[in-house]
Amino acid sequence: MTSESTLFSNRWLPVLLVSPFMLLIVLFFYVPIFQAFYWSFFLEQPFGGGSMFVGFDNFARVLSDREFWQAGWRTIIFMVTASSLAVLIPLILAVAADRKIRLSLPARNVLVWPKGVAGASIGVVFAFVFNPFVGLLAPLNKAFPGIWAPGIDGTDAFITLIAAHVWSGIPFNFVILLAGLQSIPRTMHQAAAMDGAGPWRRIFDVQLPLIMPQLFLTLVLEFTESITSAFALIDTITHGGPGGATTLLVYKIYKDGFSGYDLSGASTQTAILMVFVILLTAAQFVFLGRRINYER
Amino acid sequence: MIENARSLNIAASLILLIGMLYILGPLYLTLATASQSYEFLLRNGLAWYPGDQFLNNAVRIFTETRIPIQMLNSLAVAFSLAIATCILSFLSAYAIVYFRIRWAGVAFALILATIMLPVDIRVITTYQVASNVFSPVNALLDVSGLNGLIAQVFGAPVQLELSVLNTHFGLIAPLAAHGTGTFLFRQFFRTLPGDLFKAARMDGAGPVRFMFDILLPLSRTSFAALFVLTFLSGWTQYLWPLVASSTPDMQTAVVGLARLLPDSDGEVPDFPMIMAGAVIVSLVPLLMIALLQRYLVQGLVLSEK
Amino acid sequence: MNAIDTAIRAAAASITVKGLTKAYDPQTVVIPPMDVELKAGEFTVVLGPSGCGKSTLLQMIAGLERVSGGKILIGTREVQDLEPKHRGCAMVFQNYALYPHMTVFENMAYSLKVAGMAKAERAERVAAVAKMLGLADYLHRKPGQLSGGQRQRVAIGRAIVREPGVLLFDEPLSNLDAQLRHDMRVELADLHRRIGATTVFVTHDQVEAMTLADRILILNKGRIEQFDTPKAIYHHPASVFVAKFIGAPPMNILPVTGDGSALRLADGQVVAHAPLTGAFQLGIRPEDIVVDGKADGHAVKAALRFREDLGSHSVLAADLGGSIVRIATPFGADIADRLELLLNFPTSRLHLFDAATGRAIPGAQ
Repeated sequence: MTSESTLFSNRWLPVLLVSPFMLLIVLFFYVPIFQAFYWSFFLEQPFGGGSMFVGFDNFARVLSDREFWQAGWRTIIFMVTASSLAVLIPLILAVAADRKIRLSLPARNVLVWPKGVAGASIGVVFAFVFNPFVGLLAPLNKAFPGIWAPGIDGTDAFITLIAAHVWSGIPFNFVILLAGLQSIPRTMHQAAAMDGAGPWRRIFDVQLPLIMPQLFLTLVLEFTESITSAFALIDTITHGGPGGATTLLVYKIYKDGFSGYDLSGASTQTAILMVFVILLTAAQFVFLGRRINYER
Repeated sequence: MIENARSLNIAASLILLIGMLYILGPLYLTLATASQSYEFLLRNGLAWYPGDQFLNNAVRIFTETRIPIQMLNSLAVAFSLAIATCILSFLSAYAIVYFRIRWAGVAFALILATIMLPVDIRVITTYQVASNVFSPVNALLDVSGLNGLIAQVFGAPVQLELSVLNTHFGLIAPLAAHGTGTFLFRQFFRTLPGDLFKAARMDGAGPVRFMFDILLPLSRTSFAALFVLTFLSGWTQYLWPLVASSTPDMQTAVVGLARLLPDSDGEVPDFPMIMAGAVIVSLVPLLMIALLQRYLVQGLVLSEK
Repeated sequence: MNAIDTAIRAAAASITVKGLTKAYDPQTVVIPPMDVELKAGEFTVVLGPSGCGKSTLLQMIAGLERVSGGKILIGTREVQDLEPKHRGCAMVFQNYALYPHMTVFENMAYSLKVAGMAKAERAERVAAVAKMLGLADYLHRKPGQLSGGQRQRVAIGRAIVREPGVLLFDEPLSNLDAQLRHDMRVELADLHRRIGATTVFVTHDQVEAMTLADRILILNKGRIEQFDTPKAIYHHPASVFVAKFIGAPPMNILPVTGDGSALRLADGQVVAHAPLTGAFQLGIRPEDIVVDGKADGHAVKAALRFREDLGSHSVLAADLGGSIVRIATPFGADIADRLELLLNFPTSRLHLFDAATGRAIPGAQ
């Protein structure tokens, strides 16, 4: 990089260059975040009835609500299962595609396609493919009635969501992990081979340790992604049901805010969710990020 | 290398095969069902093989639904989002990397933080802001007491009001407030040799000339990568377009497609037509991936380094 | 000789540095106050180990680094606060730094374009320089389609096309392979003979310094150790640092003690007669030591440790009173199996340095 004092020294030009973007970010990112916290301390009357400061009342109300805790708990379960699968499966695929085999090239092409299919679109498709009456498992249902019933059984609905989420998440994670694998120098493989490590063993002793930075990154991003991308899937596949079994926090916030007109409650839950995401990201960087720092 | 990795290669081939099946299976079933009739679906359920009704179903999508106009909305949103992101990200990254400014680190951190909390999380209050983009100005006037002063002098306080809901700008702006592009350009600039910058300065190039003559032509592939990435992201957005547009004619195609599914369980929906819709809605982004895959992969890799 | 040669020769300006300093903060001083004058048309090589401040000096002359204090004059003009483009300097960078998206022609013409020169004049100027450098056939290629040597020539062409008062080189040969480096060295020397531009050339390679320079400026931790012709620097190093930095293998430096009449090694052997008292460092170049031969100096005994045959000559390493001395001898000396050598240090070839400061003691040779 250029050393500090060789850079352009104009004072106002950089301000001019950054300000349009900064204005946009402040208005549509920082103001909404600030408002979420602000409204969580006020009670907003619907239909413009004014607002009043209520201290921590909103938090007390939200935190004593059983549905909130259920939605939060489901969010965590979804986050842990969906995002670990959404990293693990692309990881296995990337290790396979990194080998010089005939299927590697077509696979690299095909596995990127889901990037072009919207979450809601694949939700519509999965709603059909996993439809208990006409879908993929309909014949099974005929033989054993009730074995696959995402409309009734919450677990089945949950599995459908996870399958759709992993499908959507393959491109990004696959590309990142494959790029990581391919940046491992060939000599590293050769050195390990000279040390007597076979190809299976090298996966665990050389490849996985060396793509830890990429693995860490995909996991961090996937956690946030799983919390947010779930909305489109829920809204198209399960509508939060059956019986609220797939109502994750993002979906509950949307319902409370836009169908229930409970601005204060939705804002409070948004604030809690944001704090959770920020803490989670920070924790990942503190506990995981510090240990993974290879200079190559 | 001379080495027997047959078992591993066989396993790898199998894994890739299963992976491709997982991706292509639903897509194939979508296509197959889209080319069957509703009656066929009711009789046989899932279609394992394509029929001859695709054109018929597609025509119904174009005549009976709002998806055609919604596709135009999607195109406008995705395209403007991609262009806006490219320009804003390039300019901000340029300022942060090539100028001696003390606030560069702070600005970059403020921009980068947007990646952590996507619009889906902050949708409630983003909606509030979009319903009156001047609300922060009003609030500032109120809090600072200026409004009280104005009310005394002019008889009424200032209450500006402008809603961007149900406009294309409103659909795009909160999505454009995202830092990935700035990050991508910054990473790219840092891979350029520092001597290139020095050489340009020795040749007499100032900030504007350096940007247009050197940096812009060199950033071509980064632009392409970011454009593809943002275009796809704009096309596939769901929650924000859902809440920011209140009439079917302002909705995007993905939202429109999801609206085709009936809300309640009960009778079997007209899946062949809906699947034809899914195919049509996904055609543009899939075509883009087929043609510009190189840039997409590059964009994904660049956006994480 | 054509027009561009004469134009550059006429533009050549002197560089005067007065009390120049560079410090990033009070603790990290890169260059303490420096005064030096480089004559117009002179080829100066700035030589020193990495981190000695030589690149910083170059970049401050170019205007790519701010000065912390002092003045830089190009000709009679004070330039230390001017933008690079107003200083009349041109620069050749380590990795060429050619614009990859521009053709050779566009690369060379860019600075002229920025300066607002008319199109026809630009083309004429570039054509003249391209012809001089043998690049006329490559003007429409991109840098990526050129060989290393050609790229180097484009980088030089880009610099001299502006007819600069000062031509700066920032280790331009360090990334070339050995053969190309040699060829480019010859080309550069030839070019300088023809155009006579004031040249400042930064390197850490002593061979480049010895072969190219009119004068060599040796820097150590930002200070000037010596500024003189290559010959003077080789034969009369001003300090232990210079003595060890120039020459391969480097000059032998031995601790000696003067007892008022003779200089003695650590083991008591007398190497020279001199009316000196106290501790000194004695320097002698490997090729100046005579093995067994009769010379005008004192003979001392040393134990042979090992020898390296280099074809044209051999380098011996011998233990002399606890220090290793290297001796370069013509190939074929019959010393292969002998463990004890008789070395003769010719008095006229001895260098004496102050033990504490490392500076040469004048007139002590």
